[in-house]
Amino acid sequence: MFENIPCKNIVLETLNLEVQVRERTILQNISLQVASGEILGIIGPSGAGKSTLLRCFNRLSELTPGLRVRGEVRLMGSSIYAPELDVNVLRARVGMLFQEPVVFPVDIRENVLFGARRLRKLSKGEQDELVESKLREVALWEEVRDRLKQPAAKLSVGQQQRLCLARTLAVRPEVLLMDEPTSALDPRSTSAIEELLLEMKSRHSIVLVTHNLRQARQISDRVAVVCLRNGVGQIVEQGESAAVFNAPSAPEFRDYLGQASGM
Amino acid sequence: MRRGLDIVMGCVAGGCLLACLTISTGLVWSIARRGWGALSFSFFTEQIALVGASGGILWNLVGTTVLLSTAFLACAPLAVSLALMERVWLRSESMKKALRLGLYTANGLPSIVFGLFGFLVFVQWCGWGKSWLAGGLVLAMSMLPTVTLVVLERMAAIPQRYIAAATGLGLSQSQVAWAVLLKQSWGGLISGSLLGLARAAGETAPIMFTATIFAGVTFPKGVVENPVLTLPYHIFILAQDSFAAGVETKMWGTALVLLGLVFSMSVAALPSRLYLHEESDV
Repeated sequence: MFENIPCKNIVLETLNLEVQVRERTILQNISLQVASGEILGIIGPSGAGKSTLLRCFNRLSELTPGLRVRGEVRLMGSSIYAPELDVNVLRARVGMLFQEPVVFPVDIRENVLFGARRLRKLSKGEQDELVESKLREVALWEEVRDRLKQPAAKLSVGQQQRLCLARTLAVRPEVLLMDEPTSALDPRSTSAIEELLLEMKSRHSIVLVTHNLRQARQISDRVAVVCLRNGVGQIVEQGESAAVFNAPSAPEFRDYLGQASGM
Repeated sequence: MRRGLDIVMGCVAGGCLLACLTISTGLVWSIARRGWGALSFSFFTEQIALVGASGGILWNLVGTTVLLSTAFLACAPLAVSLALMERVWLRSESMKKALRLGLYTANGLPSIVFGLFGFLVFVQWCGWGKSWLAGGLVLAMSMLPTVTLVVLERMAAIPQRYIAAATGLGLSQSQVAWAVLLKQSWGGLISGSLLGLARAAGETAPIMFTATIFAGVTFPKGVVENPVLTLPYHIFILAQDSFAAGVETKMWGTALVLLGLVFSMSVAALPSRLYLHEESDV
């Protein structure tokens, strides 16, 4: 199932990744690659371990007690489990956007700066510049420019998710991990985020976990399908999006597509 | 049958509530009725005279404030550190449980045990004699479990998603502790401290060995052999001598002031406690 990407810069890759919770294996034989400037969609049924897999890419999985990861994950060719690697630097390089927007109980401006001003020294002018540029990047500046000092919780859910994206971008990540970022959003906010992803992929490699097959087909360059096989999450199919969706070969994926289209 | 049981349960609960209200109101009323006559401007601004039969409670109020401030300053950083230890740095669940069990156990310890410990360590071993610092530290120890548990409760109410989001941005554990956990648990520290201080303000046993005498001192000028006057010890001594009418009124007056102090601290803790429950609903 492992498919090497020819002639491209590999930004993130995993090799024979296995994840156990206590003694139970929940993911195994996970080998995939993410190239520079592409969106890799990870799709599959609920409970197959997609979100857990995503959290292994920036070691956020370590916040889950009892979870153990084996195998290799490399960022720009270097193992992210190397003892000399600073896990906090890794997490800044591999940013994450969660299923539901997590805005901190501070104002909009402080939310954008939340990570950036703690990770590097920023003058007042640089802070203002960063807030404006990142809010412009996520197409939120015009909507909030007059209320930067207002609590972020007052924004709509769609705006909050874009604010979270701006906050993540402010720490200058090379890879963006997105865990069903549009599942809590209305269709208008969903298409706003999708447009942003397409626009951003030239600057960041993106790994997108989604249940939305239309979204996976339309905006992912490639997809990896994670399904349960013998009760363990595995990549049952991966490749160019169009090829995978047009000619699904794995029976688990065909079942999943059948169930999804019947819904 | 079930409806009848509901009615009986309702009546029992209502009866208990009524009994609690009657006892509390009766307690406040009996103290207020007896002590009201002693309250005057001079009661708060004059020092004790004629072995408590005359004068006021100025230095007792000051002494109690000194002890409570010392207790707060010593207890708050320890409580925050213990809470952060449990929430951030202790990885093993059994260690966390052991810490919590220790706090609950310490919370139930009689205050006189803290007093004896303080007497042995500060008064005798450190050689401070009776000292405001010894009393403040003993009170800090006695309120530490309460304050820590309230701060822990506040930290536990902070949704895990904030911690994951901050960690995901690349913040270190100490940055997450400062930017997320501490920022959102100040209310717990304040309300826990006020509740702990309200309890500590009325404690007599721990300070009678370590920090307070009945008369003859004003504001402490050093540490060694520098005791203070306090409200609860004042009440304790006057109660043993309350056959004289003047003394009795002064005693009830002091008790009323102490009650007011404790009540105001509990009321001051209310907004941050209400805020805690609003936040955890989010």
